[in-house]
Amino acid sequence: MVEKMTTLEKLKKYLEKIKEKDKDLNIFLEVRPECELIDEAKRIDEKIKDGKAGRLAGYVIGVKPNINVVGFHASCSSKVLEDYKSTYDATVIKKIKEEDGLIIGMVNSDEFACGSSGETSAYGPVKNPVNPELIPGGSSSGSAACIAAGFCDMALGSDTGGSIRNPASHCGVVGIKPTYASVSRHGLIDLSMSFDQIGPIAKNVHDATLLLDVIRGKDENDSISLESGKLNLKELGKKKKFKIGILDFKIQDERIQKLIDEKVKEISKKYGWNVKKVRIEYIDTAIETYYPIVYTEFFSATRKFDGRKYGKKIEDSCGPEVLRRVLGGAEITRSEHEGRNYYLALRVRKLIEEEYARAFKEMDIIISPTVPRLPHKIGEKITIEEMYSYDALTIPSNLAGNCSMSVPVGKVDGIPVGMQIMADKFQEQKMLEVGALVEGFGERR
Amino acid sequence: MGFLYKKLSEKDKEEIKKEAKRIMDSFGKKLSKIKELPKEGSIKRENSIREEGPGKDGSPDFKKRILENAPNKNKDFIIAEKKGWE
Repeated sequence: MVEKMTTLEKLKKYLEKIKEKDKDLNIFLEVRPECELIDEAKRIDEKIKDGKAGRLAGYVIGVKPNINVVGFHASCSSKVLEDYKSTYDATVIKKIKEEDGLIIGMVNSDEFACGSSGETSAYGPVKNPVNPELIPGGSSSGSAACIAAGFCDMALGSDTGGSIRNPASHCGVVGIKPTYASVSRHGLIDLSMSFDQIGPIAKNVHDATLLLDVIRGKDENDSISLESGKLNLKELGKKKKFKIGILDFKIQDERIQKLIDEKVKEISKKYGWNVKKVRIEYIDTAIETYYPIVYTEFFSATRKFDGRKYGKKIEDSCGPEVLRRVLGGAEITRSEHEGRNYYLALRVRKLIEEEYARAFKEMDIIISPTVPRLPHKIGEKITIEEMYSYDALTIPSNLAGNCSMSVPVGKVDGIPVGMQIMADKFQEQKMLEVGALVEGFGERR
Repeated sequence: MGFLYKKLSEKDKEEIKKEAKRIMDSFGKKLSKIKELPKEGSIKRENSIREEGPGKDGSPDFKKRILENAPNKNKDFIIAEKKGWE
């Protein structure tokens, strides 16, 4: 249970806020009809009263529109699927409903999750609630912004190269990319199947952990999914010793690195953490490794959008970034190239994965800034390479398949900055315990 | 070419195609400088075959919901023109 308000009181508070502020922030694409929401909130409150409620009772949850929720539009923030209504619930949604989470609606995002700024949506850019002139980050722009704006308690995003952590950092909230294969992708409209993971965004580490614990686990509808064990929320905030590696990587904005270094120094002194610098070879090729794989897999994934069974043909109705990836993927997969660049990228990916495995034999955790630069102004012209560089520090975790999260640690120029906390595959418990200590959760217990 | 969503002309599409090719070529060049490469990775799994059960009963209105999404349909099936989308 959260706070002392009933689910109904809380829902009403959120609906009021959405009505008042969302016309400026452009976060929600679709809010469920109020009468339905109120009925469900009342049902949940009854269950709480009877002591029969699930673990998410009392929590109001927003969903990225590339995740299927029956009855809602899974538009992927695109004109291609603007009229498409989900015919089934994604596995993560089923689990949320079973635990009495209240789904309030679908939030905006980058089109088909293709973007790092939140600007590529066909329904207009999401504004950063911290400073509406700035991008909120992407692609789960609405998922992070709805938490920062105080429109709901939790949200689901998807992370392919940083799409949960990047907006979480810019909006000053907590975002988790789970270990690849630990959360079912069944019902997620894919961007790049070998990277995609659904994950939680919340106000604090505790709530993000709770949602992650509900949604993860093996699912027979996702053949690559694996069992991952239960998370122990009671361990969050307990003083423990960890071996911490600080990622040795030069970033554009030194002020961000300085903030991270100072925070690590302060926390490690308090908890007796052992800290040293760690170098990951080939990390400077992460972007060049990631995009050929994404372009190829996205091209393949979008062949179903031919306008016959549902929606419109993608090439006729999408925006520039989606088309760039479709056409880039078409180019890479042309038969005369014999898959050369794609296979080359897969092999470098393996190299980076091995580098992380080596580092995690020595370290419990590797820490870096989440994003190497501050967010730009909405509409400001930047090059494609500059846009892709937003994810330079988040992409490596997707390449390696490990888990990582972003926790807000302070501000530079009044803009939130997130610390990225990475752990080895299926070591979420350790990562979350460090995240809670970084957040200062221990002090609030 | 910016990142904000906009309707694309044929000229825009040509420009994007060239841009995508340029990006992929430059990325490929950087990667090909790496000398010692392992074979491509795969996920290690203990059991790669899922257990097949008797199958599930779908929701009774599933077919109705599927048909509601189809741009062209008859009473009971989706209409797709032969080669109409090429």
